[in-house]
Amino acid sequence: MIRVSGFIALLAVSVLAIAVLWLHGTTAIAIVPALLSDALRLDFAATPLASPFLVLIAIVAPGIGLWNLSRGNDRDGFSLAGFALAMILVLLAQSVAAFILSWEIMSLVSTFLVATLHDRRYVRRAVFSYVIISQLGVMCLTAALAMLAMNAGSYRFETIAHFAGTIPALLRSVIFALALIGFGSKAGLIPLQFWLPRAHPAAPAAASAFLSGVMLKIAIYGLLLLGLQLASPVPLSWGIATLALGLISAVGGALYASVETDIKRLLAYSSIENIGIIVSGIGLVFVANVLGLHLLAELALLALLFAVLNHGLFKSLLFLSAGTIAQTARTTDMEHLGGLLRLLPATGVAMLVGCMAASALPPLNGFVSEWLLFMSFIHALIAAPMIVQILAACALAALALSGGLALAAYSKLFGIAMLGQRRDAREPQLLAHDRSWLGLVWLGTGCIALGLIPALAVASLQAVAESTLGTRELLSIPLPPSALALLPVLGVVAAIILLRVRGIRRVPTWTCGSPVTVRAQATASSFGNPLLTIFAPLLQAQRSTELCPPTWFPSRIVAKTQLRFRIDDVARNIAARIQNIARAMRIIQGGRLRVYLAYALVAVLVMLVIAR
Amino acid sequence: MIMLWQFIVALLIAPAVHGVMKQIRARLSRRPGPPIVQPYRDMRKLWGKEALAPSDASVLFTLAPAVLLGISATVLWLVPTVFATDRAAIDIISIALMLALGRFLLVLAALDCRSAFTAMAATREVTFAALTEAPMILALVSASLAHPTPLAETLAAGALILVMLAETARIPIDNQETHYELTMIHEGLLLEYSGWQLALVQLSAYVRQLAFFILIASLLPGDGIVKIAWILGLVVTIPVVERILPKLRLFEVPGLFTTATLLAFAAIGLRIVGVIAW
Repeated sequence: MIRVSGFIALLAVSVLAIAVLWLHGTTAIAIVPALLSDALRLDFAATPLASPFLVLIAIVAPGIGLWNLSRGNDRDGFSLAGFALAMILVLLAQSVAAFILSWEIMSLVSTFLVATLHDRRYVRRAVFSYVIISQLGVMCLTAALAMLAMNAGSYRFETIAHFAGTIPALLRSVIFALALIGFGSKAGLIPLQFWLPRAHPAAPAAASAFLSGVMLKIAIYGLLLLGLQLASPVPLSWGIATLALGLISAVGGALYASVETDIKRLLAYSSIENIGIIVSGIGLVFVANVLGLHLLAELALLALLFAVLNHGLFKSLLFLSAGTIAQTARTTDMEHLGGLLRLLPATGVAMLVGCMAASALPPLNGFVSEWLLFMSFIHALIAAPMIVQILAACALAALALSGGLALAAYSKLFGIAMLGQRRDAREPQLLAHDRSWLGLVWLGTGCIALGLIPALAVASLQAVAESTLGTRELLSIPLPPSALALLPVLGVVAAIILLRVRGIRRVPTWTCGSPVTVRAQATASSFGNPLLTIFAPLLQAQRSTELCPPTWFPSRIVAKTQLRFRIDDVARNIAARIQNIARAMRIIQGGRLRVYLAYALVAVLVMLVIAR
Repeated sequence: MIMLWQFIVALLIAPAVHGVMKQIRARLSRRPGPPIVQPYRDMRKLWGKEALAPSDASVLFTLAPAVLLGISATVLWLVPTVFATDRAAIDIISIALMLALGRFLLVLAALDCRSAFTAMAATREVTFAALTEAPMILALVSASLAHPTPLAETLAAGALILVMLAETARIPIDNQETHYELTMIHEGLLLEYSGWQLALVQLSAYVRQLAFFILIASLLPGDGIVKIAWILGLVVTIPVVERILPKLRLFEVPGLFTTATLLAFAAIGLRIVGVIAW
């Protein structure tokens, strides 16, 4: 019963997101408190830029709700609905205080979601790093927004955007650097990604679906809001920096996904890759905008908004199916999985759709956005100043490399976990009345629909892009040939007919006459091993092989691979420094109430003297 | 109209092209070699035989061959005709991702077999594919830039040829004539296919190979009959290269792809800067 009401709560949030979209432009809510009226005013209204993100929440929420109905925890539905509500608030916020307040609510609720399984040590550690990065982010954002408000003399976004052109150059750079840290840390952009592969797998599946599928996109929304409206135009150098950071994240995320052996961590790294691709698109929009290449900016913005929708759909689908796998096989370590397609046919097929969409394969939605984004970079390569041309060439190479690595990662995910034979002795656990796949089918249908009929989204996204960039050039958007799927689909039909007519005889796998064993199959680590070897200097993998006993004929061989994210070391060093400083500051922590009261008093006095 | 004709003709002669290359390679090794029509005969023979599948393989394995043929045919449909003059009009991304779709399907089918041989081939296939994506897209993209000088065009075609060696399973990356399962890449992926299913998979490999040749020719200067001459040149040269070069060790292959990427970058760089001397 409580699960059903949780599902209804999620549905209600979805309906609310749609309702807000319908009301767009007509209603605005302003709460102006009497004290300090302007600084603390809370304005909420729906803007065109927020609409794709609202649509994303509206589509993803029912899917997660459906899954949660059979497989989630009892009370999860409500906290998930609350989380979605907080994200909607961020999208609607139209003043500094409203934005920061809803952003903090969103961070807080998501922290609770990550902390659901807090009795485990790794979850507590993940929560800890997540809280730290959230607070770092919100500090930077508050500073950036406060500077913008100071410059405009108002706390309303409308006025701030109006005065965006008057920001002095240095201040603009500072604001943008702060925003990049603030939003970049929330989006999991390298080098601020270290919390993401820890926090997303630590949360329950439904929560990680929301975290990866939707919350990362809220950070993307923030970056677009700031760069295209509140502080537009972004200086050229910062546009290039955004592009470069995006590309580094795309390649780095894909590389780690391709050598990862845990499903949920693989998906988290792949999220870093996808966010990187989207952010590189944002960088291109910024660069094109400041150089006055309006057509290019519009095309790139359209492509990245499409990518936002797509990633939200397929990544929540994949995280939910990872949840199903975790409950069925009681592990997400691919070394122990295999052959799940036979046990979970509906989940498996939906997951195949998700994997194909995530590898940008035709005819699914990921293909359309990848195609559009590649087209924007090709346009940049053909018609732009030389600096942009060189950037575009590098971007094409990086995007292609990350695409190839993502294909390796996802063929591993599906091929190892779903196909072949089970690699573990433990019996899988199936639910009696499992309807969780309905949620996956809902999301998978979205992936297929957007892939086969991209026109469903393109026209409205183009309107969003035009109104956000303020362009009125009617760009006829090139779309990938829609007949592309025709021959492969014909192939499927032909295959079914042929199998009916000709039949197929089942024989044991050919293994040179030796017995067919489960252990002959590739494992997740052996599948990623060549890439690990090729990229060893970048990945800094520590590998060791031990023969027991150390003779020519050992009875056992133990191979260990330990991966360290090199960029994590940067974060780790900074964290160690901060801890040292904190340790030094302990002197002033007396632990007595009187001392703290004295501190407060001194602080108030100092404030009064300064403010006098 | 030309597009449709090229599509039909290419579909029909794709196995013969393979036969010619096999014949040349055999002659270079002083063997009489199979006749040019041998691929057709092989396919007819295989088509008449029943297909076997590993006992636990899922529906993905049994559906893959026909779908693969559909994908290869789509790639062939997407490559420009030899009479096309507008090089910017090639739908590069669709071609690249269509090839990726075929590879994804074949790799999954290989992982479905519970066999160490197919799994090892699948591992190598995705590893190399991850590295060929960048040079392939860069080389193709360079054709849409201004300043088409012969030097830049040759560099781009060179990059694409290196990619093609991997995609069509040629020495120095792979060896189609090997009998050792441990060294196979493309053949290894197909190890569990038999009968009419093997015929379909092989036909799709021939079609993909010819599509690649046409794509490379489209990067080189000249139109119409000159392009056909380029394709014939490839058909003759590749067996010679295969005869001369040894197969590379597995972990030396990435160096080849790095070279390809650099060649493609050089081609783009020359055309961006506008070097028109050569």
